[in-house]
Order: sequence, then C-alpha cells, then structure tokens
Amino acid sequence: MAGILETPFLWVIATIAIYAVAYWGYGKWIDRNIWRSDAKKTTPAHMYMDGVEYFPVSRYVLWGYQFKSVAALGPILGPFIGITYGWLPALIWIIGGNFFIGWLQDYGSMMLSVRKEGRSFGPITYEFTGAKGRTNLLAFVLFYLIIISAAFIALIAVFWNSFNGTTFVPTIGILVAGLLCGQLLYRVKMNVFAVTGIGLALVVLSLYLGTILPVKLPWGAWNVAVWGGICVLILYLAAILPTPTFIQPTNYLAFYPAYAAIILIIVGALATPFTNVTIQLPAGPFLNDPQGILGPIWPILFVAIACGAISGWHSLVSSSSSSKQLDLETDALPVGGGAMLSEGLLALASLIAYMVLTPLFVFGDGSAANPAHSNIAAWPVGAATLVAPILGIKATTAILTTFFGLVLVIYALTVQALVTRFFRLVAGETWGEGRFRALGNKHVATAVGLGVPWAFAVTGSWWALWLYFGGANQLLAGLAIMLITIHLAKVRARSRYSLVPAIFMVVTTLAALVWQTATFAYSVWAYLQNDKTWIIRNVRPPIQTDPNLLWAAIAINAVFVIIGAVLFAVGLSMAVRLFRSYSKSLAEARTRAPAAADGGTQEK
Amino acid sequence: MGDPKEAPSEKTRARKVKEGVKGVFYGMAAHGHVTAALRTRMYLEHLFMFITLGDMLGVPVIPPYYSLKILPYAVPNIKSWKQRVFRERDFTDQVF
Repeated sequence: MAGILETPFLWVIATIAIYAVAYWGYGKWIDRNIWRSDAKKTTPAHMYMDGVEYFPVSRYVLWGYQFKSVAALGPILGPFIGITYGWLPALIWIIGGNFFIGWLQDYGSMMLSVRKEGRSFGPITYEFTGAKGRTNLLAFVLFYLIIISAAFIALIAVFWNSFNGTTFVPTIGILVAGLLCGQLLYRVKMNVFAVTGIGLALVVLSLYLGTILPVKLPWGAWNVAVWGGICVLILYLAAILPTPTFIQPTNYLAFYPAYAAIILIIVGALATPFTNVTIQLPAGPFLNDPQGILGPIWPILFVAIACGAISGWHSLVSSSSSSKQLDLETDALPVGGGAMLSEGLLALASLIAYMVLTPLFVFGDGSAANPAHSNIAAWPVGAATLVAPILGIKATTAILTTFFGLVLVIYALTVQALVTRFFRLVAGETWGEGRFRALGNKHVATAVGLGVPWAFAVTGSWWALWLYFGGANQLLAGLAIMLITIHLAKVRARSRYSLVPAIFMVVTTLAALVWQTATFAYSVWAYLQNDKTWIIRNVRPPIQTDPNLLWAAIAINAVFVIIGAVLFAVGLSMAVRLFRSYSKSLAEARTRAPAAADGGTQEK
Repeated sequence: MGDPKEAPSEKTRARKVKEGVKGVFYGMAAHGHVTAALRTRMYLEHLFMFITLGDMLGVPVIPPYYSLKILPYAVPNIKSWKQRVFRERDFTDQVF
C-alpha cells in the first residue's frame, strides 16, 4: 500500500470537504441572507406553465439536466494547461474559484432569471444596460461561439489523429448507432430500453472495431486539416438535420460512455491508496511556465481552467432553460450551485488523471519529436492508469485507452454540435434582416460558423485557441456576475459578495486577452526584427515546419491579434456599461425604501 | 397506527432515494431531449394554428370555411397558443 500522502486520495477528500463547506456553509448563508429564497413564492415554472418551456421539474431531474449541460470538455482539458504551473496552483484554483465564484455565478444566474419571471440574459441585459448593451452582448457571444468552435474542432481533429487512430471508428459507430436509435425510437416506436440496449451494444462493438481497425491518414502534417474537414462535415449535418434525427439520439447514446468514464476515474482516484498509483507531477513551479510559452500564472491560469472553477457558458444555461423549470425557489441552490460544485469534482478527477503521469510525458521536452503542451493523449493515459488496477487489467490495454480517447472526442463533438446550432440561431437573429440577410440563412450561417473556426483550428495552436476561448468564456462569467450584482444593488441586497468576484473576473480576463493579443502582436514585431522563432510558435504544422508557408504564419498571428483586440474591445465596452449600470442602480436604490433581494418584502 | 409526524420509515426513505437516483439519471440522459422534442412540437403547433386560424391575426391563410370546420378542435389550444406565441423570446433562450 502506497503512503497516503504520495497518492491523490487525500486531495480528493480535502476537496470534497471544502466543497461541502461551500454548499452547506457559504451557499446556504448566501441563499438565506442575500437572495432570501422562499419555497412559498411562485416560480415562473408555475406562473407561466405551458408544458413546453415552463413547467415544474423535480430538483433531482433538474440537477441531472444542469450537470449534464455544463459538464463537458472544459473541466478535462483546462487542467492540462493549468498544470503547467504545477498541480497545486491548479488545484487551489479549482477549489477556490468554485468556492467563491463558480457556484455563486450558476446559482445567482438561475435566481436572477427566476426573479425576472424566467427571462434569459438577453432581455435582462437589455433592461440593465439598454439596447446597445444587448447588441454588445450579441456581438460578444458571436465571437465567443466562433472561438469555442475553433478550439473544439482543433481538439477533435487532433484527438482523431492521436491514440494510434483508434478513436475515429468508435466515433462513427456512435453517430451511426445514434441515427439508427433515432429511427427505431421515433419511426418504429420501439421501446426506449430496447433501443438503448441495441445502441449500447453497437457502441461496444464499435469500440472493439476501433482497436482492430485504426484509421490513419497518409498526409502527414496535413492530417489534422483533413480530420478537421471531416469534423466540420459531421457538425454541418448535426446543425442542419432536425434534432430528433441526429443530435438527440447521438447525444443520448454518448451520455453512457461519457459518464461511465467520470465515475470510473473518481472511483480510481479514491482507490489510489490501495492501487498504489502515486502522484508523479511536481506541485510547482507556481509562478511561470518553465517552457516560456504561456506566460505568468496571473492571468493565464485563471482563464486556462474555466469549467470546474467558473465558466460563463453556465450562466447562459442556468438562465435559459433551468430557471423556467425550477419547482421551488429553494431548489436553485442544489440545482445551480450543486451542479457546479459537482463539476468541480470532475475537474479534480481530470487533474488527478494528469498528476499520476510523469512530467516528461505530460509536458514534453520542447523538442520537435516531443513538443511542449501538445500531448493531449495524456488524459486518456492518466485515466487508464487510475482505472486499470481496479478493473484488474493493464493500463496499456488498447480498449481502455481507446475508450477514454473516445470519451474526449464525444465530449467535444456533442457540445460542439449544440454550439454550432446555437451559432446558426444567433446569426439568424443578427443578420436575419437587412443588407446581410444572406448570412442569416441557415446553410450560410452554419457554413460560416464552421468554416471560419476550421480555418483557425487547422492553422493555430490548440493551446492558443484554448486561451482565447478561456478568456472569452471567463469574461462572459464576469459579465454575468455583474448582472447579478446590479440586480442585488437594485433591490438593496448586499452586493459585495458578487461584486468582488465580478471585478476579479473582469480584470483578470481582460488582462489575459491583452496578454494573448500582445503575444501575437509581439510575434509579428519579432519577425520584422528577423526573429522567426516567435511567429512559428503560435501556429501548428505544416505551417510551423514549412519555410514556404511562413507568410501563412504571419497572417495567422495578425488575424489572432485582430480577434484578441475585438474580443477585448467588445468585452471592455460591455464591462463599462455594466459597471455604469451598477453605479446608477446603487444611487437609485439609496433613494428608495429598502427592499429585500426578492424585490418586494421590506428588509428587517 | 403510527404518528403522521413520525420520522419517515426506512421504506419511505429508500423509496425517496430510489426516486432521486432515477430522477438524476433521467435528467442526465433524457430530460434535455424531451424538452427539445416538446419545443419542436410547439413550433409545429404554432405553424398549424397560424395556418388554420391565421384570420385571428388578420392573415387569412386558408379559406374561413375550413377554419370554421377546424375551430371546435382548435379552440382548446387557443389560450396556450396565444400565451406561447406572445412570449418575449431572445437568442439567449435558445442555448439548450
């Protein structure tokens, strides 16, 4: 039996204990004293019940739905960049970020929407900041979706290109099984349990086929570009076809392996004192990236690990559908806050999967054969290392690494399918009328929403895209917490508990966007000074390795400067509007009779 | 007979736990798909109501004779249809 301090066991127990304090201590206190949730108060689900969008749902069902909607690739891959500064800073951010900010945002967004009659963030932003504020939000979300799509397409393409080519066949297997299940369910009207059984049998079969029929493309450095193209084709179909035909049954089937993997890893982490799986990574170096690529710990760590600590996407989910189905106001804490704290445990499980691997395997040595920050195969290998002893098989068993590799792919693919559909709808809203109405067309919007991210994905480094995605995502979180803070100020509730996190998130993420933009700008400047090392650092092969494609590297760096500058400008403009609105709300609230956070009851 | 205020029995507690686990599983695996299917049906119903009772909105899509024949079947849905159709909707409502 390994020494308990050498294994991740103690950290799992400590994190669970701190999250318990966050929920039953800080969470309950905020719920009772700041928001004053009231089980007797009618929620929008009852007030506007229509059986479609508004209807009360049990807190257990809604917790499951909320968790499934927020937990995806973010908590798995974010820690991969975060551990550059050592596993301890990453762990502290996963614990502290979630304790003080993460759950507060998800829960607050849900409560804000409930108190605003189930309205989502668009109308609430309009109410607090006017028409320009909402347009600003729309522009920000469009850019945000393009960056998410670029990061996810890049990752899916790289995943298919890794793991010895074993994950492509199972992915296609899940998609085909999903299509078949959709037909059996909706056309043949077969029993859902029978359909699930058939679908899962096909998934297992495709996993086995993946290990014996690996798919490797023959185009060398261009492979990722081709994989990216295949991914775009699949996503195009997912965005265009009716949801019951493709996305719904596919996501349903994908749920089973994805959540089985989470359970296995958490059990594997808890069993480490008995399985002798020990921590291999160093706890530091804390302040800087030793390979000099990412930058200083602040602000980079705080945008690298998004979901699991805090994520802006969650605020959209909490205020979009969950708030319309909340049975009781008092359910907001277990559903919104509880789901977020549970996602923190998923991030912890992922972090542990990296912690049990050697530094050389995880970080690379910066050489051409083993470049820095590129071994994204680390997570499946780490997961297999944790799980193999409890299953009694070898960690190198092909079916196990293929399974965890497939889990990575399906987490990215299922979320990206929804993001692409969302982009199409937002594009329709933005360009549906006027001179650019062609861009609102569903085929054109989908093609733009996939084509532009594909171009970014196959040219830029995945970590560069991930940091932009993290910056935009975390900024959205900061803006969401500002909306919550404005509401609290308007109803004269104590707003400092959300104001401080909001300021921290807005300042940190804007700083991260500035850092990233400056890095790309510096790369172009260095090239003009005859230093080519920087310009090729931010792009991926073949552009990185082919001297004839240097012009493409310059162009990509220049485009990334523009993207970063636009994200920063739109985010800053939105932040300024929100802080102005907050200050105005404070002044207005001081002139009115005191009221509680529920907007009506007199304060004691 | 036991006191109704008595603490829940083991059996009741076990049933609650079972219901909770079932609920979580259903929420994770299927709830999103069920609501998406309901929403798809809602949009189709909007279209149906618009085609059959468009006169109510000043848009006579089909001749009033046929609308009148369908009226008894459509009347029970008019209230909820109006409620849904007139509801403020935003792009941020479309996330899931």
